[in-house]
Amino acid sequence: MSRSRTSPSRITRFSAVVKYELLWNIRKKKFLGMIVLAFILATLSLVLPVILSNVTNQPLNQNPDYVISTGTGIGGLGFFLFAIVTVMNSISGEFESGTIVPLLTKPVSRTTIFIGKVFAAFLTLFTTYVILTGYLAIGGTIVYGAQNSLHLLPISLMGNILSTFVWIAIVLAIGSISKSSMIAALVTFGIWMGLTIASPIISMFSDQTWILHYVIGSGATGYIEGLGSPNPLIPGMPISTGTDSIATNLINYILYPSANVTFFKIGILGPGSPLLVELYTEALSLVVLRSILVATAYILVFSLISWYAFRRAQVLQ
Amino acid sequence: MVAVEFAIETNGLTKRYGPLIAVNKLNLKVKTNTIHGFLGPNGAGKTTTIKLLVGLLKPDEGTISIFGQEVVGDRPDVRLRMGYMPELPKFPKHLTGYELLDIYGKMYGLNVQERREQVPRLLEMVGLKDRGNDRIGKYSKGMQQRIGIAQALINNPELVIMDEPSLGLDPVGMVEVREIMNAIVKRGMTVFISSHLLHEVQQVCSHITIINRGITLASDTLENISNQLLGPSTLEVEVTKLTDAIVKNVKKVPFVSSISKEDNKLLIQVEKQEDVRPQVSEAVTKSGGVIVTMNLKERNLEDVFMKLIIKSKGAKTK
Ligand SMILES: Nc1ncnc2c1ncn2[C@@H]1O[C@H](COP(=O)(O)OP(=O)(O)OP(=O)(O)O)[C@@H](O)[C@H]1O
Ligand SMILES: [Mg+2]
Repeated sequence: MSRSRTSPSRITRFSAVVKYELLWNIRKKKFLGMIVLAFILATLSLVLPVILSNVTNQPLNQNPDYVISTGTGIGGLGFFLFAIVTVMNSISGEFESGTIVPLLTKPVSRTTIFIGKVFAAFLTLFTTYVILTGYLAIGGTIVYGAQNSLHLLPISLMGNILSTFVWIAIVLAIGSISKSSMIAALVTFGIWMGLTIASPIISMFSDQTWILHYVIGSGATGYIEGLGSPNPLIPGMPISTGTDSIATNLINYILYPSANVTFFKIGILGPGSPLLVELYTEALSLVVLRSILVATAYILVFSLISWYAFRRAQVLQ
Repeated sequence: MVAVEFAIETNGLTKRYGPLIAVNKLNLKVKTNTIHGFLGPNGAGKTTTIKLLVGLLKPDEGTISIFGQEVVGDRPDVRLRMGYMPELPKFPKHLTGYELLDIYGKMYGLNVQERREQVPRLLEMVGLKDRGNDRIGKYSKGMQQRIGIAQALINNPELVIMDEPSLGLDPVGMVEVREIMNAIVKRGMTVFISSHLLHEVQQVCSHITIINRGITLASDTLENISNQLLGPSTLEVEVTKLTDAIVKNVKKVPFVSSISKEDNKLLIQVEKQEDVRPQVSEAVTKSGGVIVTMNLKERNLEDVFMKLIIKSKGAKTK
């Protein structure tokens, strides 16, 4: 009796919340389905070129950069989808199912519960991405021969997690304000869809592409001159500056530390006017640093919003 | 530990849902080591009050003290001493009963050893020993209710708050719940249990508070409430011929407070719930009367409870 009155250590409470949350994630059908789908796609992307080369009798070229340029193999859509399936229910779902009632009346502060949920999401995502990256690394080596820069994979991994967490923070914020998983998923989907359509258009036609450096998702498209496949229409290797491209840009930066990125817009076609109008050039290092800071800022702001909403939430049911 | 007189004390506790006042200036006092029943019809404000007590809702006005400590905001340290069983509790469907109790126990800071002892003991107590390894998603309503009772006791709390614990239980389950209540109070716990069924509360509680429309109608020991509410009972005696001598003699019978006449009938008001039928019959016979019928209009607590509530409803709607 007397010991139950002594305050349980923070670690014990925290690990209880994390376990509670992890079991939830692991047993979630949506989540399992997502992982299975990711592995099917990864397998297809590895196996299809092999099949094609057999059918066409054209030998598959060795590509020593396949693994490092592929990473987890998932891009903007993948980050968004993984964010949705990982945390779509983790706060709002508890309100919807009523399980929030017994949870919030346990001697664990709401802040601990919130941090525990975010941490569990991190663990889930981290594990999934590690396995996915490992799978593609092994598969890539088998299909495309010995690989370069494999030691950079952890950096790529962290970049991908950072990109995904921007979406996670958004889903959590909308979920804890609306207390509805459906609204959280739909509004986030709307944001993703809007940005995915708007970003390339702004990037192509506007003088103000710099705005896109501060926007979630794909951001603006720039080109690293002197890299990439030579093509008279494309001025270099295309890269995106948004929060979804942190991993790719980080790897490029490490491989080509002094690279510069040039931004263009499409000019009005007319006599004498060039197709691409050069807007400005900046260092790749700046692009990378900025996208990391922007992503971190979004994560912090949206997490604070959801933490605040969660702390203040009343359980009306 | 200084002994605190009240496990729960609220002062002017008020909660509104828009224009509706669900809890209205409630002053609730629950003595430590008592079983306190919280009675009221559907929509009386019981669940709202309880949600305020456990911190799921924030009061619009008034204060709440648990064990003499005023509770404001998120207070895990206060919850450490409490167990709470929600009304129709919902638990994560993907967990087994055992896992649920284990994780909740961990949240209370119980170590592995303590949980290994406590969890099977509680599962057995609520009759879920054989179903501990089934997922809660497969539990029936009554089984969810039972696991709800178990999780409210996982930390050997000093104060247990239960919101309609026997909702959805079969008659055997209801008796079991009653036995559990009695057992935990013997261990020195304070139990606060809400119900809309008077007879349920009557059998286990030493104190009751009756509310309706968020307002306290009565709050006292069960005994005082019974006496107070039941008030005088009426004995109706019909005789062949009503004489003044009969009236005079009956008036002398102890506990008789007043008498009125109605044809050949005597309506005798008796203080409290004393049974004065033998004495009245003797007095009538002694005065030369012959009793045709004798009818004790007994009022049970249930009727009074109903009347009290109907009265308070009438008062409001006027
Ligand atoms: N979330 C809510 N929004 C608006 N009104 C509510 C809400 N919850 C409860 N109420 C209202 O508050 C009043 C009190 O409800 P409460 O649930 O506290 O009653 P109760 O005594 O527990 O009833 P029952 O015996 O049916 O469980 C009712 O009039 C109810 O309609
Ligand atoms: Mg209720």
